[in-house]
Amino acid sequence: MVDLNLKAEPFLGHYSKGFKGVDLREIDDNSLVSLALPLGEESKAIKAIEAAFGIPVPDVGHSALAKNGAMRLLRLGRDQLFVVFLYEGMDSEPYIADKLAGAVYSTDQSHVWVTLEISGPSARAALERICPIDLNPDAFAIHQLARTNMEHLGTIIIRTAPDTYLLMSASSSAGSFLHAVETSIENVA
Amino acid sequence: MIINHPLLGPRDAAEFVYLGDAALIDRPDPSVADAAEKFHEYGYLRDNPAGEHQELWYHEQGDRSWLVVTRNTLSHEISKVELARDVAVARGRGR
Repeated sequence: MVDLNLKAEPFLGHYSKGFKGVDLREIDDNSLVSLALPLGEESKAIKAIEAAFGIPVPDVGHSALAKNGAMRLLRLGRDQLFVVFLYEGMDSEPYIADKLAGAVYSTDQSHVWVTLEISGPSARAALERICPIDLNPDAFAIHQLARTNMEHLGTIIIRTAPDTYLLMSASSSAGSFLHAVETSIENVA
Repeated sequence: MIINHPLLGPRDAAEFVYLGDAALIDRPDPSVADAAEKFHEYGYLRDNPAGEHQELWYHEQGDRSWLVVTRNTLSHEISKVELARDVAVARGRGR
């Protein structure tokens, strides 16, 4: 039998580039598990998540970071959360599901999303060209998030620091998404 | 057009998909004697008001919630936005 030695490559090949006032790089060391809260049992599911991870479940449109920074809960809707966490193995869904003991429905979404981090003093100006969300610091606080679309591509945007945002979009259109973001940056850089 | 989502705040209408009359929430009881007539009305007959209209919008490029938007069809002014789930529960659905 042929001894295959396959190694997963990141969608954008560890992309990292500096622009005038903006840095853009691919984040590729996170796993992502989607949690759906069962209808009518949302409060039980939320208690189970808080007990398992020690992170208060945020309100819709907000995210919450673990104390050690290795896990972030994204509350995308009333009945949906994403768990984004540093994890090496390929079994991220069973790893999360075991801790929640059937209180939620979970699916592995690790290889479905591509993540870009955009940062720097001109990051907000660059995003204003493609992001329909009000990113004014008063309207979009740190850890706030929104699922929206950028250049018709569905995108989750999370503000992680004063001038830093994570952008998550479908990995199947990772190249097009990167092109859209680069173009928007070049329009202001 | 901006839709002021009850959980997420103001969002561009481009994030939403329009379905139509919110009367679709009131699905008839299939066990009643005139169910066929009721389902015909439910499926095909719509009011077409010039003025205030309750309609279903789906936040597809957002949190994927269904909303009941009360909109004036003459001015496009939106006077009320509610989660469709809350409206359905208020009208007697179990959960």
